Amino acid sequence: MKKKLLVQFLLAILLIPSVIIAQNADATINSTLSGRVLDEKTNEPLIGASVQIKGTTHGVITDAEGKFYFKTGQKLPYTLIVNYIGYELKEVLATTSSISISLQTNAKQLSEIVVVGYGTQERKNLIGSITKVNPLEVNAIPVGSIDAQLQGKVSGVQISSPTGVPGETVNVRVRGATSINADNDPLYVVDGVFINSNSLQTIGTGGKATSPIADLNPADIQSIEVLKDAEATALYGSRGANGVILITTKRGNFEQAPKVNFNVSYGQAKAIKLWELTTGPEHAQLVNEWWINTGKDTPSLNRTFANRPFRPVSEGGRGLPEEQQTYDRLSEAFRTATLQSYDISLVGGTKTTKYYIGGGFNSQEAILKPITFDRASFKVNLDQKINDRVQIGVSNSFSRTYRNQARAGDGPQGGLLQAALHTPTYLSPTENGVLVGRAGFDNLTLLLNNYDVNSTSLRYIGNLYAEAELLPNLKLRSSWGADYNNYNESEYWNTFLLLGAQGGLATSSISQFTSLLNEQTLTYRQKIGKKHSLGVVVGNTLQSDVLTRTYAEGRGFANNSFKIISSAATTTSTQSWSKSNLASFFAKADYGFDGKYLVNFSIRADGSSRFGSDRKWGYFPAVGAAWRLKQESFLKDVGLISDLKLRASYGIVGNQNGIGNFAAQGLWTGGAPYQGSPGIAPQQLANPDLKWERTNQFNVGLDASLFNSKVSFEINYYTKYTRDGLLQLALPSTTGFANYWSNAAEISNKGFELNINTINYERAGLKWTTSFNVAQNINKIEKLENPLRYGSRDLILQQQGTPLYSFWVYKQLSVNPETGNVVYEDVNKDGQITVADRQIVGSIWPKFFGGLTNNVSYKGFELSAFLAFQYGNKIYNHNKFFGEGGGARDAARVIFASNNARWQKPGDITDVPRPDGVNVNNYRDGGSRWLEDGSFLRLRSLNLVYNFPKAIANKLKADALKLYVNGTNLFLLTKYTGLDPESSASSDQNAQGIDLGTPPQPRSFQAGLSLTF
Amino acid sequence: MRTLKYILSIGLLTSTVSCNKFLDVQPLESISDTQTIFDKTSAETALRGVYSALSNGSYYGTTFQSIGYLTGDNIQWTGSQSQVQEFINKKVNADNSTIGSAWTAIYRTINRANNVIAKVPTVTDPLLTDALKNQLVGEAYFIRALSYFDLARTWGGVPLITKPTANPTENSGISRSSQAETYALVLKDLETAEPLLPATTDRYRATRKTVWALRSRLHLYLKEWAKAEEYASKLITDTNYRLVKPYNAFFANDARGTQESVFEIFYSANETNTHRGQWQPQTNGGTRQWAPNDAIVALLNDPKVGGGRSTLIAKDNQNRWYGNLYYRTPATDPTFVFRIAEIYLIRAEARANQEKITDGLADLNAIRDRAGIAAATATTKDALLLTIENERRVEFALEPHRWFDIVRTGRAAQVFNVTDANRLLLPIPVGETLIDKALVQNPGY
Repeated sequence: MKKKLLVQFLLAILLIPSVIIAQNADATINSTLSGRVLDEKTNEPLIGASVQIKGTTHGVITDAEGKFYFKTGQKLPYTLIVNYIGYELKEVLATTSSISISLQTNAKQLSEIVVVGYGTQERKNLIGSITKVNPLEVNAIPVGSIDAQLQGKVSGVQISSPTGVPGETVNVRVRGATSINADNDPLYVVDGVFINSNSLQTIGTGGKATSPIADLNPADIQSIEVLKDAEATALYGSRGANGVILITTKRGNFEQAPKVNFNVSYGQAKAIKLWELTTGPEHAQLVNEWWINTGKDTPSLNRTFANRPFRPVSEGGRGLPEEQQTYDRLSEAFRTATLQSYDISLVGGTKTTKYYIGGGFNSQEAILKPITFDRASFKVNLDQKINDRVQIGVSNSFSRTYRNQARAGDGPQGGLLQAALHTPTYLSPTENGVLVGRAGFDNLTLLLNNYDVNSTSLRYIGNLYAEAELLPNLKLRSSWGADYNNYNESEYWNTFLLLGAQGGLATSSISQFTSLLNEQTLTYRQKIGKKHSLGVVVGNTLQSDVLTRTYAEGRGFANNSFKIISSAATTTSTQSWSKSNLASFFAKADYGFDGKYLVNFSIRADGSSRFGSDRKWGYFPAVGAAWRLKQESFLKDVGLISDLKLRASYGIVGNQNGIGNFAAQGLWTGGAPYQGSPGIAPQQLANPDLKWERTNQFNVGLDASLFNSKVSFEINYYTKYTRDGLLQLALPSTTGFANYWSNAAEISNKGFELNINTINYERAGLKWTTSFNVAQNINKIEKLENPLRYGSRDLILQQQGTPLYSFWVYKQLSVNPETGNVVYEDVNKDGQITVADRQIVGSIWPKFFGGLTNNVSYKGFELSAFLAFQYGNKIYNHNKFFGEGGGARDAARVIFASNNARWQKPGDITDVPRPDGVNVNNYRDGGSRWLEDGSFLRLRSLNLVYNFPKAIANKLKADALKLYVNGTNLFLLTKYTGLDPESSASSDQNAQGIDLGTPPQPRSFQAGLSLTF
Repeated sequence: MRTLKYILSIGLLTSTVSCNKFLDVQPLESISDTQTIFDKTSAETALRGVYSALSNGSYYGTTFQSIGYLTGDNIQWTGSQSQVQEFINKKVNADNSTIGSAWTAIYRTINRANNVIAKVPTVTDPLLTDALKNQLVGEAYFIRALSYFDLARTWGGVPLITKPTANPTENSGISRSSQAETYALVLKDLETAEPLLPATTDRYRATRKTVWALRSRLHLYLKEWAKAEEYASKLITDTNYRLVKPYNAFFANDARGTQESVFEIFYSANETNTHRGQWQPQTNGGTRQWAPNDAIVALLNDPKVGGGRSTLIAKDNQNRWYGNLYYRTPATDPTFVFRIAEIYLIRAEARANQEKITDGLADLNAIRDRAGIAAATATTKDALLLTIENERRVEFALEPHRWFDIVRTGRAAQVFNVTDANRLLLPIPVGETLIDKALVQNPGY
């Protein structure tokens, strides 16, 4: 039934154009008009400006020389409306058949065209809170994915890169986090397709995950809009709770001469610093101290000076501390990484066709061997006018992302950093020619030489649309989109490695994610009289997501030359399938009066297959209003103020992303076999009342522009309150279940955002502009029945009354100068330190964060410096917890140099206790000694561009030639003693802020060339 | 007009009927919990699900077992997780992740058993005979008894859950019973299971004989010596069980289901037992994080003490000793829950406590004889008990008995130097006390 309807519908869409074509009868030609559109100051032609005959729908676009031509039934004279992005709209009376029109640049902020939900808008008419980013500003930052590049560019959007590995997931939080177990990631929309942003990775790499956003080539992106408040996101309803990131890719222009752009860049990256480790003798000294101390505490252990581990070889020991060597494994694991990128594109258009074709190849090594990231991408965007009223088009992007992966993070087997941070005193890499490891960790050299873990992501994101003007001002658009991702992972662990020691181990996992999307919108826009403007959008969306996975594993290979599972002695395999559907209807009406008062109302209904049968539908309304004060008579003549607007919005958005596709159902699994026969077992408890998580959002903002638009700023204050928060509510184990899906949490976020853009100097070809943004978000769990523990050693506790991602630790007050033992705060005053004394000390939330960009241009030179900062957040230095083990981890780990500051004798004042592994209190899991201030200021990017003069470019038969150099992370100011204050071991959203086994964000230098002809 | 018709069809497409159908998506990997046990096949598969829970890595696979031996005095820890060191130090914190996952795994097993106990008797399927019905329910009762026994000896009294959980409000907020009440439920379940089960010999599944094995151990723990002896004798006199020779014949060379075994848990290439990974050295694909300590290595290698039991350990290419009870590739090592050797030692101890020195000594010497060491010659009850204690340490060097043995005999102060009596019970996992206010923490934590 459904299928049949879909076919009928498709036919309908295909038939509409023919109906319209039939209506379009030929007209008599009464006049011709040719003209040119130029920049008023420079007299440069403006390419792609739209010229329309007033009172008609007849419009054309200027060509590569700024020229346009009309052949029309209208009789001269008539008025032309000329519109071009970044310029004032102009109306000109055309009296003769040839005309030259000069346009005046506009204060950029006001006339900027902003992509909004299902349409575009001029910034001056915006009610919602939307930030637009030009990807050119950040494209040079070598991080693999566009979202990582945006850090510090969008006020109120906290983006942190938890790893220095290009193409791994980053945390993007638009105005805080609203949910514990549903997603907090924003919705990514690429050319109208809702794309998957959840990693498909299944291989364990110690908590990290690859980012599906990295499949997009940033060079193909025209603009990025971040939709933040309820008014802006309302049309995305259930999808908009965490903000929406609209990505618009490049398209051609009608009547544009073909233009080829070629861009190449090459660079290198290196770690800013690595961990400071003890030398072999220092290590041995600490181990001896630990040995003797534990012997004193527990005499039955029989640990004494006489039998200390590092005693003379003649006494059966490993040699005296001073005789120990220092083997440096860290520098073997890290490298100077190579970065390279090549992009070529062709853009242009005829009278009825416009196109963009792009191809790119991007290859980045991580600073940690042997990790690499390669992306090849191909893009075709086409638009075809069938006639004046009907247009169809396609967007296609296809990419192949290949990664060499490695387990940098937690876990012993195959762990690179675990192997690199190994005991320094013994076992040179090739002791006696045999490469051996110790205590559960691989030998680093063997690991680096034999690592064979890789993944290939094939991704198609595409969209086919047809757009028809049914009546003047009434437009119907239908689109069919797809996001298909084939994610193929394989591992081979040969017999030199721990995991493969028994004859080798090979795995293969193929995940396929398919999202199909169909969408219709009907848009009506009309001006009534001189003062009223009205717009209405109604539409619907159907989306269906399917994820399938096939996994196979083989053990026992004849030798290391056999790597394919079919040649293994034992093979096992599994398969999984999951699906979710979403149906939506939406409507939006906006009304403007006299360009002064703007109001709108929107509503979206979403039905999700994930919820209980009576709870599938959620309704999400929003209202917004803006008042352009500058248009009022009392401000019209105030020269100081170029523009002033007040905005307010209120709305409700929903969330269901990230929960299980069958979260509401009570389920039994078949995966409980015994003795080779199948078994069934309870899997999940039902919650037929499971429903939408809802977030009420309020936003009030002020946009102002002063001193002839030299200074403009935007301030927003917002509150968000989430009810019915989707939560895997913990159940006591006595139920036989760990948790069940429920609507049990309430979370609030409130904060402010400030954006300031200034033109500091503009004279004699020298221009200096600054853009600054800062934001604060205060997060709080308002209601949560039972606390939830996350992260290694339960370091994160989600608890009512405190912010999400708060650190739950034993607070170290001091080290007793007499005993050398740690004094922890005895919270319940019972005289002993137990788990009841753990307390919340800080969270991952900064007090404020933002970015500062300065651009200076002079003649052909452009210099930009971009700083990102964050203040007041905490980070748990879990590396240091392991590295400061006080000698107890001799067999397994190197000791950090910071442990040299340990207490040694009565009277020593230090915060590092006496080495002592039996009284684990001193080096206790979850001690606050390793909880540190994660504030930072980093020079994220410094960019110098030289645009060669046109004359030189022309000699090369090119239109434009530019050279650039770029540096990232040239400096990093932080008190954090780890490598990078943004590092986080896990991609689990509830276990952020724990730094373990993560390569830092590198410092990089790149040089590039861009050629247009 | 035709256009209009097609446009209308858009409306139809999105009409409530088709929409509701569109929004009804059912899983393919799982089934609804409204109809789970309804015929012979589903009853049998549900019971296998209970065994599967018992065999889980967090219960008899690895985690729960590790509590029994890490907290003893035979094993050292060479890894980097301090939560493991807490067991070695006998200072376990409530936020220790091992106890958390073991507790959860045991109650998950209980819930599965409760489902079988509650639902199988109500099934009407002519193929499901009364005898089979009884057997399935009896096996579930046995597994529940074993689960509560493990809870009681590790944590003391616990909440007693005897009904399956059908919705989230059930089976939580129930306060702890005493340890005696918990053991009483174990006994009651065993008494219920015994007549339901056939008196056959099955080394991988519970039978009437498996019930006897747990009863003999339970009565030993409860110091009901006569009963412990009685139930041990039922097995020792059964010709299906004997002490296999040499010692390693019950586990070496991929042996499984030998006559030594009263109850062992089955693993295969598809249902693996990852236990070996903790013991085996790197050259064998393990991590050797848990290794026999110097003391037990000395005892096992002493020909007068260890005898054939020295085969439990081996040396790697770096001359380090490692435990070799779990060694198979693929990881299919059985977990030995009851060996006849234990039953002999239970009877020896029960007899010694009843002053039957000669009989007790005979049982003990059966074990020593099998290990290839000289017979013991204790003449007093105390001397015999001490010899049995030491024998158990060596006989079960890598099996999870030592901690529970020393705790139940009240000798933790002398043997382990643990003077704080509160330490003899492990803390209730903090994850549980945080979310269930009815759960009162053990004193001292």
